[in-house]
Amino acid sequence: MLNIDDLHVSVAGKEILKGLSLRVAPGEVHAIMGPNGAGKSTLGNVLAGRDGYDVVHGTVEFEGRNLLDLEPEQRAAAGVFLAFQYPVEIPGVNNTYFLRAALNAQRKARGEGELDSMQFLKTVREKLRVLHMPEDLMNRAVNAGFSGGEKKRNEIFQMALLEPRLAILDETDSGLDIDALKMVADGVNAMRDTRRAFVVITHYQRLLDYIVPDFVHVMVDGRIVESGDRSLALKLEEHGYAWVAERRLAGAV
Amino acid sequence: MGALLDPFGIGDAREREESWRYSRNALRALEQLDLGPADSSAALPGELIERFDWPETRAARLVFVNGFCAESHSRVDGRIQVEHEGARSVIRLAGARRLHLVFASTPGAAAVRWQREINIEVAQHGELIEHHVGSAGPDVLGSLDCRVNLAPGADFDLAVLTDLPDSVSLYRRASASIERAATLRSTAALFGGRMQRHDLGVSLGGAGARYTARGAFALRARQHVDVHLDVRHAARDTVSDVLWRGVADQRARGILHGAITVAAGADGADARLQTKNLLLSPHAEIDAQPVLEIYADDVKASHGATVGQLDERALFYLRSRGVALADARALLIGGFCREAFAGLADVGLTARLDAALARRLPGSGGAAP
Repeated sequence: MLNIDDLHVSVAGKEILKGLSLRVAPGEVHAIMGPNGAGKSTLGNVLAGRDGYDVVHGTVEFEGRNLLDLEPEQRAAAGVFLAFQYPVEIPGVNNTYFLRAALNAQRKARGEGELDSMQFLKTVREKLRVLHMPEDLMNRAVNAGFSGGEKKRNEIFQMALLEPRLAILDETDSGLDIDALKMVADGVNAMRDTRRAFVVITHYQRLLDYIVPDFVHVMVDGRIVESGDRSLALKLEEHGYAWVAERRLAGAV
Repeated sequence: MGALLDPFGIGDAREREESWRYSRNALRALEQLDLGPADSSAALPGELIERFDWPETRAARLVFVNGFCAESHSRVDGRIQVEHEGARSVIRLAGARRLHLVFASTPGAAAVRWQREINIEVAQHGELIEHHVGSAGPDVLGSLDCRVNLAPGADFDLAVLTDLPDSVSLYRRASASIERAATLRSTAALFGGRMQRHDLGVSLGGAGARYTARGAFALRARQHVDVHLDVRHAARDTVSDVLWRGVADQRARGILHGAITVAAGADGADARLQTKNLLLSPHAEIDAQPVLEIYADDVKASHGATVGQLDERALFYLRSRGVALADARALLIGGFCREAFAGLADVGLTARLDAALARRLPGSGGAAP
């Protein structure tokens, strides 16, 4: 589904990703862990198509297409979704209006029929219920005045509504209390199926107690230095990231 | 300079010159036109009637065509008294009534101008929608002098919507005198026009008088809108709260000059003025100038003005959800302007302002009427 090969990316002339490779197949959940500054968020932003990230070398293929050729809205229509680490507040833009515009733009781009407002509201209510979110959320401006936890839950709600093929969660767990963390995890787990993949970027092991990954990758200094199953995350929790760096120096990788 | 302004008695007054600094050229260009008198009995095209013929206001509506009252389109009942004396009309609102005041500009064979003076007396509660529309053609310059008097304790909502083609110019002077414990809430949505100049003078003359102003302009092409707001706190415990949004695209020019004066003795005044502006093109220009003068003690006052560009992070956020670039821009610009209308009580009017805004947004592709 997603095939990243030897990706080098610079931001403002500074190389952040230094030869990152990753393969994600449908149905898989990949966790990407690593210390601050390793380039985890850069990876999410590059995949979503944010400006200011220069791909110096390497390729990103998504379902047989060159993802890097697509505009951000084309990537969304193709099924890529990024849950932002810092969701943006947009005062004056109503949530209902925004999400209906987004969903219908995606459907249209895929050659599917647009939803009328009744169909849309029905879908919205279902998804809100799953995530235990209040309906009045839809009458508010996008993320405006939301608490940190509400913003993160809103990201997951949008993901549930837009039903992407590939969801990238960029530190969705940061700043969440345990209840909010469980709600977010429930939302993600409810969406796991054989045709959908997740890339879960996180700093802490805690989230992976609730969203159990198939693969765990450790990212240090712009590349993946170690991959394994879930037990790798537990080892990291125990030994810290310095342990990975030391193992590399010792030639264990 | 200023022959066009002579009827208002401010033609060459030196002290006014400075306030026309940004609009001097636009005014001079208008003066180059040989403006004849507008046709007082011009028929209204159906397309123009549709723009103001709102079912909600048919029962209380006054329509002026080129400055003259068009009885056939107007209807008021006994709770609204109207007297016309030459170029002046006096409107008395008694009881809680909403009046839709329409000013339609229709072109003649050559450039024309019209003038009108309106005095509005508000005894208790009232709501006025002042609505300017026009048809494209040779230039029309409309001049309106609007005076509002709020009796002690009165409560008044004033909404001003200008929705003009690029051949119509408007010079509008509005002054409001707010007496003791009276409240004026005004909302302005200014779109289009070759040149719009709004001189707004507000006097908070009685203790406890309150003034809330919300407004936005969204401009494109070579549209030019110049708003001069002059708020004077002249009594104790008076409140003014002004929030404006401005958007300019292409070669448009927007000016918001907001002056607040707290006179000696107006202790306990609370004055706020905030303006945020969006520039969408390197050739567009917005001048935002807040001016605060305080001669009293124990005053709360704040002001701020910003001019910026569209938030790239917000744009990316919307696009990452599938919204196309042009639509994402329109959503953000609309949201930016709508913030100024958030407090508007009248839901029906909000929807109408929204519709006008959507049609007028820079980049929305809607042709100027």
